[in-house]
Amino acid sequence: MKVLVPVKRVVDYNVKIRVKSDQTGVDLANVKMSMNPFDEIAIEEAVRLKEAGKATEVVAVSIGVAQSTETIRTALAMGADRGILVKSDETVEPLNVAKILKGIVEAEKPDLVILGKQAIDDDSNQTGQMLAALLGWAQGTFASKIEFDGDKILLTREIDGGLQTLKLNMPTIVTADLRLNEPRYASLPNIMKAKKKPIDEKTPADYGVDVKARLEVLKVTEPPQRQAGIKVESVEQLVSKLKEAGVIG
Amino acid sequence: MDFAMTDEQRLIIEQVRRFVREEVAPLEDKLDPDESRLGPDDYARLVSKVKDMGLHGLGVPPEYGGPDIDTVTMTLIAIEISQHRAGLYSPCYGSFGGAGLAHLYEASEDLKKRYLYPTLNGEKHGFFGLTEPSGGSDPARAIQTRAVKDGDDWVINGAKIFISGADKAEYGIVFARTDVGKGRNGITCFIVDTDTPGFHVRRVVHTLRSAYYATELQFENMRVPSANVLGEVNKGFAIANDRLSRQRIPYAASCIGIAIKAQEMCIEYAKLRETFGAPLATRQAVQWMVVDNEIDIRTARWATLDAACKADRGEPFRTEAAMAKLLSTEGASRVVDRAIQIHGGYGVTKDLPLERWYREMRIRRIGEGPSEVQRLVMARNLFGASL
Ligand SMILES: Cc1cc2nc3c(=O)[nH]c(=O)nc-3n(C[C@H](O)[C@H](O)[C@H](O)COP(=O)(O)OP(=O)(O)OC[C@H]3O[C@@H](n4cnc5c(N)ncnc54)[C@H](O)[C@@H]3O)c2cc1C
Repeated sequence: MKVLVPVKRVVDYNVKIRVKSDQTGVDLANVKMSMNPFDEIAIEEAVRLKEAGKATEVVAVSIGVAQSTETIRTALAMGADRGILVKSDETVEPLNVAKILKGIVEAEKPDLVILGKQAIDDDSNQTGQMLAALLGWAQGTFASKIEFDGDKILLTREIDGGLQTLKLNMPTIVTADLRLNEPRYASLPNIMKAKKKPIDEKTPADYGVDVKARLEVLKVTEPPQRQAGIKVESVEQLVSKLKEAGVIG
Repeated sequence: MDFAMTDEQRLIIEQVRRFVREEVAPLEDKLDPDESRLGPDDYARLVSKVKDMGLHGLGVPPEYGGPDIDTVTMTLIAIEISQHRAGLYSPCYGSFGGAGLAHLYEASEDLKKRYLYPTLNGEKHGFFGLTEPSGGSDPARAIQTRAVKDGDDWVINGAKIFISGADKAEYGIVFARTDVGKGRNGITCFIVDTDTPGFHVRRVVHTLRSAYYATELQFENMRVPSANVLGEVNKGFAIANDRLSRQRIPYAASCIGIAIKAQEMCIEYAKLRETFGAPLATRQAVQWMVVDNEIDIRTARWATLDAACKADRGEPFRTEAAMAKLLSTEGASRVVDRAIQIHGGYGVTKDLPLERWYREMRIRRIGEGPSEVQRLVMARNLFGASL
């Protein structure tokens, strides 16, 4: 079984982001970038499948600027076998990402694609679902557990009020949720080995995709400043303050 | 000339940074602000993660089981693992393992078996006993502890002061005079078991550092077998010179780590805290403090990485290591001091790590050779051996 895992280069989750003064987007100059945390979970799951003898090859794909190679190297250091960089200096919107991935799936013929459920920069939560639709494959989103039942996948997902288990036919699209696993620390020997693993370079045009944006960003602004709180002396005061604020009737 | 990290270094640093952020720092919310040890369960968990990363035994040469990395990479790691409250004297609470005393690597195989390997396994701990009440900057002249040959033993009498961790150690390295009147060519290095009759820890010397205590030692007719002489008789002083210079590099790096963390806190707090109707960050007086922090941090970092680079290339690096030690300890002291100023009253509370770093950084300008001695090392190199 071959597993394909798309990985996105995003602003590190620990960075406090700053909106550009012209309100066109987020300032990325000199900002630490990392692999999208949900994609780390996806890679971890794929590598575990390989270690369990279920997967034979794990391929990591990143679509974006040249520095996305760093994100692929991280995936390789975690245990992926090889990488594909689809280079684009333009912002690639979810639908175009899904179209490029469709092209890669057709070329690579994986049995399973594991994606992060969403990227922490634009929080779109669309790519996995769109890819499943474009391919006409089964999809299991927000996975918190993946098991195998013969040639089918038993996938547990967290839904409101409980857990839902889906039985999916292969090939299939899975998107990873936070509790699927805890990604490992890449080890020094694996980091050294990653250096020798191949990364293919492609462009969106290789897959016949035009990445021109369909969406127009009008304005990006900081969330409103939180007002400072106050300390109350008694329950009575608390109730009256909440009433004042219109929180309770 | 290239100051960029390699892909591998970047990946290693990312792992280590995540480890400090996710595994080490959160534990400190529940620990005493002066703690330097973890409970056995937390410690074991951290060690096993560091082993999985392949980084256990940081600073141990690869032929002794340490990770196969160069000095530059080790320095980059050392800058990361100090970035938490206990980071200066107990980076990651020791979960990266200890390299043991530099001198032990120069010992005979018999001594290595008895002391080095058990130290690398964490079974034994050693102290380093050089400084005496008569002075630490110029030990070649100051050492008065005497060792006299008697049959197959040496009988040692004298005292040591400021010896870190001797109260908890199983053994230590003791420098003693074996030939009076020969200066640095009359000093011998001994390995001494702390249960030897005549070995006394006289007292704990309380200092600004509240953990891993300094001690005062006294030796009364302490008999040490000849087999425990490290290196040659009367040549104890030159042993491990190279390794000792090398040690100044991670010593410098851990100070830089603290400074980086303090600077992060400064920037965050200055943007948040408002006085006279505007955030501190908008005041030039505060901006300049932060800029001066950055200058101190970057200067120290470049100097330290330069020393590491030269060490890796096999070039002489004594001057560079001395400069790195000096710039990092003095620079990071200033950074922590400014950080306290920016944080106002909160800066000196035990709610924040700054006051601990402030106390411990003050020691760093004295320990491992004070600033003046580092300048002396550099002066000797600049003026030549004649001085
Ligand atoms: C917390 C702590 C832990 C320590 N741990 C250990 C340990 O484990 N093992 C160990 O052996 N030692 C240890 N030391 C001792 C430390 O290495 C010495 O304190 C240091 O070497 C300085 O020696 P001294 O205190 O005797 O000062 P002195 O040598 O008396 O010097 C006093 C001052 O004069 C300056 N000075 C010296 N010579 C000159 C000169 N030529 N020109 C200008 N200025 C000069 C010095 O820099 C210093 O500022 C520790 C010290 C402390 C505080």
